[in-house]
Amino acid sequence: MTDLAVTAAGGRRRRGVGRPRAVTILAFVLPFILPFVLFYLVPVAYAVWQSFLVVRRTGGEYGTLYTTFGGFTQYAQALQNSEFWGSIGRIALFGIVQVPVMLFLALAMALLLDAPMLKLKSFFRIAAFMPYAVPGVIAAIMWAFLYSPQLSPVVELFKGIGLQPDFLGPGAVLWSAANVSTWLWTGYNMLIMFSALQAIPPDLYEAARLDGASDWAIAWRIKVPIIAPSIVLTTVFSIIGTLQLYAEPAVLRQISSNISSTFTPNMLAYAVASGNNYQQAAAISVLLAVITFVLSVGFMRLTSRRVGL
Amino acid sequence: MDQVVALWNKENPNIQVQTKNIANDQYGAIGNALKAGTAPDLAQVGYDELPDQRTQGAFVDASACADAVAAKSKFVPWTWAQSSFGGTGVFAIPQDTGPMALYVRSDIFSQHGLSIPKTWDEYADDAQKLHAADPNLTITFFDPNNAEWFNGLLWQAKAKMYDYSGDTWHVTVNSAQSKQVADYWQKLISAKLVRTDLANTSTPMYAAYEKNQIATYVGAAWGYGNFRDNLPDQAGKWTVVPMPTWNGSAASGDWGGSTVAFMKGGQHLYEAVKFNLWLNSDPEALALSNKVGGLYPAATAGLQLPQLSQGVPYYNNQKIFDVFADSSKQVDTSFTWGPTQKAVNVALQDAMAKATAGNGTLTDALATAQSTALSSMKAQAIPAVAGN
Repeated sequence: MTDLAVTAAGGRRRRGVGRPRAVTILAFVLPFILPFVLFYLVPVAYAVWQSFLVVRRTGGEYGTLYTTFGGFTQYAQALQNSEFWGSIGRIALFGIVQVPVMLFLALAMALLLDAPMLKLKSFFRIAAFMPYAVPGVIAAIMWAFLYSPQLSPVVELFKGIGLQPDFLGPGAVLWSAANVSTWLWTGYNMLIMFSALQAIPPDLYEAARLDGASDWAIAWRIKVPIIAPSIVLTTVFSIIGTLQLYAEPAVLRQISSNISSTFTPNMLAYAVASGNNYQQAAAISVLLAVITFVLSVGFMRLTSRRVGL
Repeated sequence: MDQVVALWNKENPNIQVQTKNIANDQYGAIGNALKAGTAPDLAQVGYDELPDQRTQGAFVDASACADAVAAKSKFVPWTWAQSSFGGTGVFAIPQDTGPMALYVRSDIFSQHGLSIPKTWDEYADDAQKLHAADPNLTITFFDPNNAEWFNGLLWQAKAKMYDYSGDTWHVTVNSAQSKQVADYWQKLISAKLVRTDLANTSTPMYAAYEKNQIATYVGAAWGYGNFRDNLPDQAGKWTVVPMPTWNGSAASGDWGGSTVAFMKGGQHLYEAVKFNLWLNSDPEALALSNKVGGLYPAATAGLQLPQLSQGVPYYNNQKIFDVFADSSKQVDTSFTWGPTQKAVNVALQDAMAKATAGNGTLTDALATAQSTALSSMKAQAIPAVAGN
């Protein structure tokens, strides 16, 4: 009985002050909620719904098209598609090599920029970040030019010393795409790590120096452990970025026949959709989203305890 | 196109036409417009895309308009057959075509004492001789990412990829004729007598021609300006001759070309027919389209255009359009595109790329395309069986 009374009392109080507050909150939140629902939740829900449909038609080949519930038909087909697994395997290989290389470079650059003796800091910071300002497609076109055996001054230089590199060959083209991604994103990741480094209070270094720590020891024993959360964050971004890979291989594809239309899962989904099979493309997209979610959350879980996230 | 439409709008105050250019993924844009019910009255659609679009319910049959039906005699027969689906209606008016021919660097040929090849066997012999004389020289290149071009070669070999009868598609993408073409090019590729590292009309391709590394180009009528505009230094060195044939009897293929289709949901069918016929068969409109866009018309009247009967300066004043006009007459009229042609082309390209990378053969690529044709039709609920 007392509980009820308390609730009623609370309710009365809320009616007095609370309601205008709820309206205010709503007014502030709506500009976010509305586009979020319209342009994020609705399309995702639509894709999920599409992925459970199959196409049927009445009245022969040129008859009326309609879709009907097909259960997991599209998923079963996607999972049986060797192209799907091929594309997943390809980006897995890409990610296992490219992400560590890129993040190691980014970390090294961030630590160098943070080193006390470095002059022209702001110049180097901007210079390293510059590639990120270049749209991915433009970057890929630029690199495509540098890779092309017919046009590239780089290939010409290699020829001068008796080498014949084939950047667009069947074995090399994946790494040529990885190189474009690395070039594009190292500066971005470096900046996140560098910002974290800037937040470390200088007295920590002072104390370490008094204890006789070298610059190397300070970097390795103090700086890196403290910025570990941002390294995890950049790794998660990179995992997601790898799974979503599209622009770089799609542009390189125009000059190399060694990149198939199903090179990455995103390219496969696009190719399937452009063949009018939207339902299958939706299933592939949903599968890709699930894999991305599992991998990024899995990685966070795996590392969070260690780095104290 | 804009200039041609402006001419129409000036002369026809009662029927005003608006155009919209879709730079990228035009068929995706058309498909979305159809779903949204905002499709235009007319849309430019390639021949190979027609059955694809029709199975998506994109078109309206204009044969209710007598003018549309009567226009049949004005067009090159195969173009009408494809846009009327063998005479079951009028879903589009043919616009342009790409009858194929062989572009030859006559200076390189005479330098190596070769004569113009009449058959594909002679062409292969020439390929051998050129490459033997100069390891940096190949007779042409094979672009695995260009299914449209390869389909043109299949068309010439009378390889019927599809046949629609008894309410079912009969899929023969890997027919004996197709395999003949695939085997032929596979031999040239395996012997490294053709290059496989160039994409059609890419900068690297022009660079290779610029460096005199390639002696011929298997092309279409609409491409005559490409060398002229990109390789001005080679003026007078190029000649256009009929495509080599398989058994000595003349046959040709078509690469590319478009129609202007009647879209479902359009509100002005009668006016659309009038404009469409004018656009694609009126001599004045065709002359302007040819002048501003290099369009090679599908209307038979268009082939008589004065500018198509003159010599072309870049080609040593050769009357190259005579060659294309002859080629146009040799194109097999019974050739049909499949209702999931785009998906098949993509699969074919991926598999051809594997073959040129030494991973399988072009015959394997045909088998892949065949199975993709069947599975993609199944996904669209289109009845299809393998073979005849």
